[in-house]
Amino acid sequence: MPIDHKRINGPEITIPYQLFDKLNTKSGKSQFKDFVKSNGVRIDGRSANDHRKIFLKTGVVSQAKGSAYIELDKTKVIVSVFNPREIPNKSEYSSKGEIYCEFKYAPFSCHKRRLHQQDPEELQYSAIMKQALESAVSRHEFPNFQVDIYALVLHNDGAALSAAITVAGVALAHAGIPMYDLITSVTLAVQGEFVLVDPNLEEERLCQVPLFKDEQNTNHGIVVLSMLATHEQVSQFYQTGNLAMDNLTSAIETLTNAAKDIVVLVKKCLVRHVIKSARNVED
Amino acid sequence: MALCEAEKTFVLHGVEENFRIDGREREDYRPMELETNIVSHAFGSARLRLANTDVLVAVKIEVDVPYPERPREGKLEFFVDCSANATPDFEGRGGEDLAVEISNSLAGAYRSPEVFDLTKLCILKGRKCWKIFVDILLLECGGNLYDAVSIAVKAALWDTRIPLVKSVTVDGNNIDMEVSEELHDCQKLDVTGAPIMVTVCKIGEQCIVDPSAAEELCSVGALVISVSRNKFSTILQTGSGSLHPQTLLECLQTGHKVAQRLHDALIETLVDIKPSENSVGFLR
Repeated sequence: MPIDHKRINGPEITIPYQLFDKLNTKSGKSQFKDFVKSNGVRIDGRSANDHRKIFLKTGVVSQAKGSAYIELDKTKVIVSVFNPREIPNKSEYSSKGEIYCEFKYAPFSCHKRRLHQQDPEELQYSAIMKQALESAVSRHEFPNFQVDIYALVLHNDGAALSAAITVAGVALAHAGIPMYDLITSVTLAVQGEFVLVDPNLEEERLCQVPLFKDEQNTNHGIVVLSMLATHEQVSQFYQTGNLAMDNLTSAIETLTNAAKDIVVLVKKCLVRHVIKSARNVED
Repeated sequence: MALCEAEKTFVLHGVEENFRIDGREREDYRPMELETNIVSHAFGSARLRLANTDVLVAVKIEVDVPYPERPREGKLEFFVDCSANATPDFEGRGGEDLAVEISNSLAGAYRSPEVFDLTKLCILKGRKCWKIFVDILLLECGGNLYDAVSIAVKAALWDTRIPLVKSVTVDGNNIDMEVSEELHDCQKLDVTGAPIMVTVCKIGEQCIVDPSAAEELCSVGALVISVSRNKFSTILQTGSGSLHPQTLLECLQTGHKVAQRLHDALIETLVDIKPSENSVGFLR
């Protein structure tokens, strides 16, 4: 990882103080039990299939062509979309337009401070975002041009990637980029028997490793799925961890249903924007 | 490479008839060539040739300090180098995106402790551990990179020998390690759980594995499915298309089935590979 020497970088190795927290003396399993009760009710009172409260708003960055902001409880992501411009550093003509995505965690958004440059995780999330949005945008409408999409996570409390994809869809619509469909994205965390929609950061962390090994259930993992609402197409699918086939089958079903739930909100948000701009024209 | 509509239809019909343009069935791979232990300075190495794709993987091991948040674990890192020998597109920083994509997907696939047990690499809790560097060199690109890379990585890890640590003594802040002097005194890694990646391509109504360059042009979307034992460790979608949830499931089933077959075949081959007396090297 190259370091930007023009900036003042902190010391090379620092450790987040949370590591010395009392919580860390507890085993992962009992931590998980604290977050999710055996009947599936989570620490914030949600059931396993519930989303967190979602807040969506368009037009938050005045200088961008289109922009949107999402909150999934504490997770906060802001996305801005800029006017199409000619694809830089390219000599050949491309009959389809390009999408450029940049996913970035703000330096202060996670436990550990993030650097200004994109790290490999952010680069991968950018690629996933691009993959998700490509099939939602009518790219033949702007040949040889590129649309830049910048997603900045202001606070990461889990499911930041899917929040970014959902809100990028809204921002694209707000920017007036021609699109085939609305796009919504949902994250799912699996740990043993528990399947949690829209996990927060702690739930996400605890699902990285198998905790119920002694019960012969080593299923664990994170699944992110993006759906095109009316076409019922999966535009992007990403999974990590260790999941069996039947787990994945049910996970896909849960995710497609959960993705449909958000569509209403996205529509409402865009309708609100249209009404508002129509009023502005009247005045 | 560009195909006209008639050629595309020809490929598509072939896939529907379960008789592809090169005579394979839908779930067949092209022939592969695998060699292990070919780089003498590396702790383990493998070279895989799958049709026109050529991958060389070498494993290096160093002693390092474990991450403070995971004191009982060693480290495993993947580096992909897209050599400009493969295609001129990789010149300069051209191959960087692809390299990051492949190394990230490998890191994701190996992350779960069920897949690869990093605790075996710990020498002294919180103080010393082995760090495995897996360097992947793409010598030639003929499509289906993920599959080739994952198989080569698994073979190279299989071939890897870690020096045996006889004793560790702690004296205040100094840690003394005694490594066995016997050259053949070493540990092998357990790679039965190491994931195999299978790229499943959707062409028309059917899913195929190991697409050739012409078939890649006809496909609307592809899934890279990595399977470890009989579970999925990573799945990612590539290409700009989208899939219906039902199709997604069918692709997953195909990938699952093929990956297990490939895994069995690979283990069988690896067990069979004997230290060859007439070493040929990979440039034959």
